[in-house]
Amino acid sequence: MFLGRVVGQVWATRKVADLEGLRLLVVEALDEAHQPGAPKVTPVVAADPLGANVGEHVVVAFGKAARVACGGDGDYAFEAAIVGIVDDFDVPGAPAHWRLDETRLARRTEGGA
Amino acid sequence: MLVATVVGNVWATKKEESLAGLRLLVVRPFTTDGRESAETIVAVDPLGAGIGERVLVVFGRAARHAIGRGHEIGFQSAVVGIVDRMELEGGRTVGMVAEEDEP
Repeated sequence: MFLGRVVGQVWATRKVADLEGLRLLVVEALDEAHQPGAPKVTPVVAADPLGANVGEHVVVAFGKAARVACGGDGDYAFEAAIVGIVDDFDVPGAPAHWRLDETRLARRTEGGA
Repeated sequence: MLVATVVGNVWATKKEESLAGLRLLVVRPFTTDGRESAETIVAVDPLGAGIGERVLVVFGRAARHAIGRGHEIGFQSAVVGIVDRMELEGGRTVGMVAEEDEP
């Protein structure tokens, strides 16, 4: 499981049947360095049963945990899913780009979510 | 699951029996910083993706499940979707092929 930030959404018409009706979000792990010369930033595509938005921080699970999060313990043709939308976190010494988007955070809190 | 670009095909006559008749593609993971990934992955393709197309690639049990030949088969990555469009923050759009990308 990792902490990530939603950076986009992806759509595919031609796909295996298991992906029908799944919302697929593009998530960048927060453990990747973003400095020049740092390793490439390869985002993960995760199924989203919770309704996360671009800019939000999420917890992404892999493997069977991800398939269970999307309903039952069935075999599905995907292995990554969003299992939590982060309200807040406290990681002393975390780099600046980990910071939550304050406006989104306020909106979510006001909404009572 | 990753987004990747198809960069080639692989053929192998002598191979693990469970791979018989399956199409093998070489794909390169998509990066958000625009620099080309040095890594390439060989994935089984049940959909018929072409060179240059962006695809969704899964690994492990999900990949074996996608092919539908049971789980005792000799591979671990598979193409499960061909990307129509990907929208990234900042208004950037990634198309099915690089020519359709909008910065």
